[in-house]
Amino acid sequence: MTNKSPGVLDWILLIIKRDLLISSKRSASYITPVAFFLIIVSLFPLAFGPEQKQLSSMASNIIWIAALLSSLLAIEGIFNDDFNDGTLEQIIMSGEPLFLLVIAKVFCHWLIAGAPIVVSSLLAGIFLYFSFENILVLIFSLTLGSLLFSLLGAFGGALSLGKSPVLSTIIVLPFSIPVLILGTSCVNASINQQDYIVYLLYLGSLVAIGLPGLSVAIATSIKINYE
Amino acid sequence: MNRSNFFIAWSMKMGSPPGFFNWSTKWCFFIGLLSFLVLTVGLIWGIFYAPTDYKQGDIYRIIFMHVPAAILSQSILLLMASFGFILIVWRAKIAGMFVRAAAPVGASFTLLALLSGSIWGHPTWGTWWVWDARLTSTLLLFFIYTAIIGLYSSTDNKITADRSISLLSIVGIAIIPIIKKSVDWWQTLHQPSTFSLTSSPSMSYEMYLPLAICVVGFYLLFVYILLLRLRVEILYRERDTSWVKDYLNQRIG
Repeated sequence: MTNKSPGVLDWILLIIKRDLLISSKRSASYITPVAFFLIIVSLFPLAFGPEQKQLSSMASNIIWIAALLSSLLAIEGIFNDDFNDGTLEQIIMSGEPLFLLVIAKVFCHWLIAGAPIVVSSLLAGIFLYFSFENILVLIFSLTLGSLLFSLLGAFGGALSLGKSPVLSTIIVLPFSIPVLILGTSCVNASINQQDYIVYLLYLGSLVAIGLPGLSVAIATSIKINYE
Repeated sequence: MNRSNFFIAWSMKMGSPPGFFNWSTKWCFFIGLLSFLVLTVGLIWGIFYAPTDYKQGDIYRIIFMHVPAAILSQSILLLMASFGFILIVWRAKIAGMFVRAAAPVGASFTLLALLSGSIWGHPTWGTWWVWDARLTSTLLLFFIYTAIIGLYSSTDNKITADRSISLLSIVGIAIIPIIKKSVDWWQTLHQPSTFSLTSSPSMSYEMYLPLAICVVGFYLLFVYILLLRLRVEILYRERDTSWVKDYLNQRIG
C-alpha cells in the first residue's frame, strides 16, 4: 500500500470541495445574502419615492451599500462553523502554509456569498434604471469590491472567532469604507461619462495588495486564537 | 561591557514587567512634571501672548489644542502598530501591554481632535461638520480605535487579546494611507474642496513657536498618561506574582 501524504494542492482542493459541498446542501448560505441584497435595494425606492431621476442619481450608491451590508451578513459563516466543530484546528495542523489554505477558504466564501450578489446586481441595476454600459461597469467594479469585502470579512471573522458577530462588523466596516468610496466613484464616473478606468485600476490594485497582505493577516489571527 | 551587550541587557530589563515597572517609577514623575511645565509655557504663550489672527480673530487659538491632538491621534496608532509588531514577532509581553494601554488614549486624542475641530469649525466655516477629506479620515481613524477597544474588551484571554489588537493595529496602519487617498479622490469627484485646512494662510513665527511647544507638551503628556496606564496594567496582570505583592504591601502597609 502506498501512503502518499497529501500536499498543499490536495488540501486546497479538499477545502474547496468541502466548503462548496456544505453550502450546496445548505441553501440559506447563498440565498440569504442575495435576498438581503435585493430587499435593501428595494427599500430605497420605497423610502425616497419612485421618481426615476432621483433614484438613478443615487443608484450606484444604493447598490454598493446594499452589497457591503449583505457581505457583512455573511461574515459569520466564513470561519465560525469550522471553528466550532474543530475543522479549523485540523486545517492548521495540516502543516501546510496557512495563508494559502485561507485563500482557498476566502475564495469559496466569495463564490458562495459574493458572486451571487454580483450576479443579482444586474437585476438591481435594472430596478434602478441603469443603462447597459453602466451595468457593465457596475458588475466589474462590484466583482473587485466583493472580493475585497470577502477578504476583509474573513479578517474580521478570524479576529473575532467564537465571539459576537457584531464585533466583526465593527472591525470590518472602517476598512470597507475606502472600497465603498472607490466603487461608488467608479460607477458614478461612468454615469457622468467621466474616466472610470482609473477607479477600476485602484480597486484592482487594492485586491492585489489585499490578497497577499490580508491572507497573511487572517492566517496570523487564526493562529493567535489557537495559541 | 560593549555597546551591543549593554543594549541587550537594557532591553531584557525593559522587557520584563518588574524591570520596567521599577524603571518607570523614577521616570513617570519626571515626565509628568516636564509635560506640565512645557504645556503651561506653550498654552499660556499661545492663548494670551500670541498675536490675534487677522482673519479668524481669537477663535483660532483652539489650534493649540487641536493640532497636537490631531498629530497624536495618528502617531499613537503608529506606535501601537510598532509595538504590536514587536509583540507578534518577538513575543515581548510588555509590548502587548503597551498596545493595550495606548488604545483608549489614542481614541481620546482622536475624539479631542474631532470635537475641537468641530468647535473651531462652527464660527469659521459656519457648520459643525463638513465631509471634508481630512475630517472623514479622522473619523475613520476613530472608528478603527473603537474596533480595537471593542476587540480587546470582548476577549477574555489577555494574551490572545493583546495579539489580536496588535494585528488589528498593524492592518489599521496599513489602511490609513489608503483611507486618506481614497477620501481625497472621493472629495475631488463630488465637490471641489471649499474648506481646506491646508490652504489657510501660512502661520507667522509668533504663532508657530507656541504651537510647536504645545505639540511637544502634548507628546510628553501622552507618554505620561501611557506610563501611568501601563503601570496599572502591569500591576493588574502580575497581581499573582510575589514582587507585586511585596510592592503593594510596601505601599499600603
